[in-house]
Amino acid sequence: MTQHHMKTVQEIAMSRKKGIIRFCSTIWRHKFLYLLLMPGFIWYFIYKYLPMYGLIIAFKEFNFMKGIWGSPWVGLKHFEFLFSYPDFYRILKNTVLLNVYELVFSFPMPIILALLLNELKNMLFKRTIQTVVYFPHFLSWVVFGGIIIQLLSPNDGLVNQIRELFGLEPIHFMTQSAYFRPIVIISLILKETGWGAIIYLAALTTIDPEQYEAATMDGATRFQKLIYVTLPGIRNTIILLFILKIGSMLDYGFEQIYVLYNPTVYDVGDVLSTYIYRIGLQDARFSMTTAIGFFQSFVGLILIWSANRLAKRYSDVSIW
Amino acid sequence: MSSRISIGNALIGTILILFAILTFLPFYYVILTSISDPHQIREGELLLWPRGFDLAAYRIIMDNERFLTSFANTVTRTVLGVIVNLALQLSFAYALSKRYLPGRKFFMVYIIITMLFNGGIIPTYLIVRATGLIDTIWALVIPTALSTWNVILLRSFFENIPESLEESAKIDGANDFTIFVKIYLPLSLASVATIGLFIAVMHWNTYMDAIIYINKPELQVLQTFLRDMVVQLEMLSTMGDMTLLNETSILSVRTAAIFLTVLPIVVVYPFIQKYFVKGVTLGAVKG
Repeated sequence: MTQHHMKTVQEIAMSRKKGIIRFCSTIWRHKFLYLLLMPGFIWYFIYKYLPMYGLIIAFKEFNFMKGIWGSPWVGLKHFEFLFSYPDFYRILKNTVLLNVYELVFSFPMPIILALLLNELKNMLFKRTIQTVVYFPHFLSWVVFGGIIIQLLSPNDGLVNQIRELFGLEPIHFMTQSAYFRPIVIISLILKETGWGAIIYLAALTTIDPEQYEAATMDGATRFQKLIYVTLPGIRNTIILLFILKIGSMLDYGFEQIYVLYNPTVYDVGDVLSTYIYRIGLQDARFSMTTAIGFFQSFVGLILIWSANRLAKRYSDVSIW
Repeated sequence: MSSRISIGNALIGTILILFAILTFLPFYYVILTSISDPHQIREGELLLWPRGFDLAAYRIIMDNERFLTSFANTVTRTVLGVIVNLALQLSFAYALSKRYLPGRKFFMVYIIITMLFNGGIIPTYLIVRATGLIDTIWALVIPTALSTWNVILLRSFFENIPESLEESAKIDGANDFTIFVKIYLPLSLASVATIGLFIAVMHWNTYMDAIIYINKPELQVLQTFLRDMVVQLEMLSTMGDMTLLNETSILSVRTAAIFLTVLPIVVVYPFIQKYFVKGVTLGAVKG
């Protein structure tokens, strides 16, 4: 009995040893591939995983001399401060509202554009339109935003010149809070709709032409084909992009806002990222703004996870 | 029946043309303003066609020292960025494309987690600072060196190359590194060029990293210079000495600066366009 037992222990030790040897020889066999992975692996560790570790300063009083680990713990102090701080609710509301407007007004635009382009039979015309509408995606937000600001300028901007033609007073668009959100969403639509349509156009090419032929045989109108063949064909792509959009509801593009806003419209224009930059880095309130960042990342994770779960339940789409 | 369809087509065509005009109009307006005679624009008339022809604004901006410095910095970061980003992304994506590689799934999860959760602006700043990159050109290259999206895209390119090529090279005694450099890279040159152009455009256009990591004026990039110029109305302080402004107008100088910033993008756009649809499609289907 004991002998038998000893034997198994020995056997386990042996097989463990064999396992280690096998593991090492596998690594050795693929040593060049692992070597190719190494720089990227280290990069991800330093620039992606260490910042996640750095999130602990949201629970500390960060101090440059003491570093991330050495700074004293303060528990939930920064979070308690945030949740009782009117500024926090203001920037949270601004961020969520811009994202909701984006979802309502900007998200459907690439789908509509792709469906319209799909109806075109003349390939030259189609390609010309595509070349033009994809272009602004490749311009920086400084350039595109700068042009928008120029077009809306009260003195020499095109829009106010047109208003003048009709005898209307010039409007100071960029310094009035009421215009800020529409300007952000309209400039986003103009800049990114074309680019966004590409992915739907790609999905449209995967629809079997026989489906359209069969629908035509059954006497379906153009509109019926759109509803019963085309839309179901790109449904999965729409759901996928929708999930990703939901995951970034607390994240509004810094580069766009940072060009279009100015102190006169901070009340509606300040979003989480611009606030973290201004208050966190410029005023050196690292821990408090890291708490905002932590909240942002954490809620983002919950949102994308829940959206994905819902999508899985009601369709067969999932991002993982 | 057929007339109803043609009315539909006409409607679709009209909507598309209107949208295309609307997206292109802002850019057209910039070119127009920058080359027109500023004295004729000043009268505040509606401009749909160039009025006169005057390149004084371009001369002024191209003589401006801060413009030239920031232009040079952007060129440097773009060149360094493309080299470093491509080297890291290609080697990482190549190794990940090997279905037989033990641990492949772990590495995939390892990079995908970073798409779902991140440390955010401040902790990333602290790490970039701790690695000694603040106020160096490398702060604009290293922290954005890998993009998970690009890695997944490149991985699918490599996966599409037939495995038989690798097998026969291995029989001939080639190691994985040689196979990668001598067989796979030459075969995926078109995809590499596409991704390279995308990285270049990203480096040319982005400026959030420059705002966060760069404080030295002599390391300022083109986009931050342009932002100071078009957004903050204190253009005179941005430009320094502007005694030459009598020759032209602020509007003309601004639009000329915008156009010069966009020019490199306009030059590479036809090349990008040739490939990007393929790239995005592949990423969408495989990713």
